[in-house]
Amino acid sequence: MIEITNLDKYYGSHHVLKDINLTIGQGEVVVIIGPSGSGKSTLLRCMNYLEPIQSGQISIENQPIGMIEQNGKHKEMPENQLNKMREKVGMVFQNFNLFPHLSVRENITLSPLTLGKMNKKTANETASTLLAKVGLSDRADAYPDQLSGGQKQRVAIARALAMKPHVMLFDEPTSALDPELIGEVLDAMKELAREGMTMVVVTHEMGFAKDMADRVVVMDQGQIIEVDKPDVIFQNPSQERTKTFLHKVLTHT
Amino acid sequence: MTLDFGILLQDENLPLLLQGLWVTIRMTFLALILSCFIGLVIGLGSMSKYKWISSLCATYLAWFRGTPLLVQLMLLYYGLAISLNIDLTASLAGVLGLGMYSGAYVSEIVRGAIQSIDRGQMEAGRSLGLSHWQTMFKVILPQAIRRMLPPLANEFIALTKNSSLLSVITVAELMRAANTIVADNYKYFEIYLTIAVFYFVVNYGISVLIRLLERKLNVEGVRS
Repeated sequence: MIEITNLDKYYGSHHVLKDINLTIGQGEVVVIIGPSGSGKSTLLRCMNYLEPIQSGQISIENQPIGMIEQNGKHKEMPENQLNKMREKVGMVFQNFNLFPHLSVRENITLSPLTLGKMNKKTANETASTLLAKVGLSDRADAYPDQLSGGQKQRVAIARALAMKPHVMLFDEPTSALDPELIGEVLDAMKELAREGMTMVVVTHEMGFAKDMADRVVVMDQGQIIEVDKPDVIFQNPSQERTKTFLHKVLTHT
Repeated sequence: MTLDFGILLQDENLPLLLQGLWVTIRMTFLALILSCFIGLVIGLGSMSKYKWISSLCATYLAWFRGTPLLVQLMLLYYGLAISLNIDLTASLAGVLGLGMYSGAYVSEIVRGAIQSIDRGQMEAGRSLGLSHWQTMFKVILPQAIRRMLPPLANEFIALTKNSSLLSVITVAELMRAANTIVADNYKYFEIYLTIAVFYFVVNYGISVLIRLLERKLNVEGVRS
């Protein structure tokens, strides 16, 4: 589904992602954890090429995204090709990034309508179905500023799903939420996972990782230091750094 | 000293001034449209990732903001006609001159408003498969326009006032009408005070219109 090979990324001279190799299977839920600054969000953002990479390759369903080989040269793909690839990848952001000038329904239908994927009727029906799914049927005509954080994030999930993505990326989807609102967003994500959606989730919610992840990826200082099933990571990690990190997070929650 | 506003009713003075006012309004309106168009193009261009486009726009801004409007009008109307045989009518030179000058300022308003929109908005649009320009026109600009309105009101008011300079290139607008009348009867105070009031009313109208527009846009989408 997603294949990342020998990925390197720099911010100037700062080497933020070091030789990342990771394969994510169809229907898999992969949770990326690690201390702040370890590069986990950056890695996630590389998967739909919101972050350019300097070397290596990322492919989704066996098609490269972002960088392509052409005449033996490594170069950025044309924009229309990149947009096509991005349609397959839904993304949910920490700060929701809903469009404040559009109603909830318009947030969801903007992209399918603009890209001619659906007519107005189908798009509105899709929006209603998706809103029902995230439990917000009654808020279709509200504007983002009239919603709570948890509601915003659920709309953001519905918006991403409207493009019928093959994989969903979640970039710390609950980090900007008040504690009592986290549950409703996690529930929506769990439902999605149960339906078999391929998901890559960067999060600090260790409970979600334990319950829902097929595999947990532990990152530190721009590297993947460990990948394993959640029970192994949480009970018997092989890396000292994983232990230290988990000890810090788990003793405070 | 005595003021004699009765002078307005003599010698067709008032109709002459009203005619001038109409020309002023027309020229300003046309220049305003041109200025918005140029402002949008130059403003967007100045943020282009292509160096040659952004430098071109930076040069435009530097030139039209950095030289006096009066000099630009002289170059357009007299300069082009005499040296290059490009004989623009006074009205065309006036609209072009005002529009290009004001467009430089509008481009900075456009750029500032666009850059004030959170980066996450562009990222969200792009992650949904929209292109850069689709996101720009459907997501960024509708939000940015709200933020442009207050500084645009300033710019449009300045544009109206600057249109008085068109009198120098023989456009029969309000200022020129006043000059013509005063040359005849020396009633400086009465005539210039009258046109001052005319300008004031037009500009007050602009500020009210923009305030209304601001309010309308804010109701549709709750402020961010």
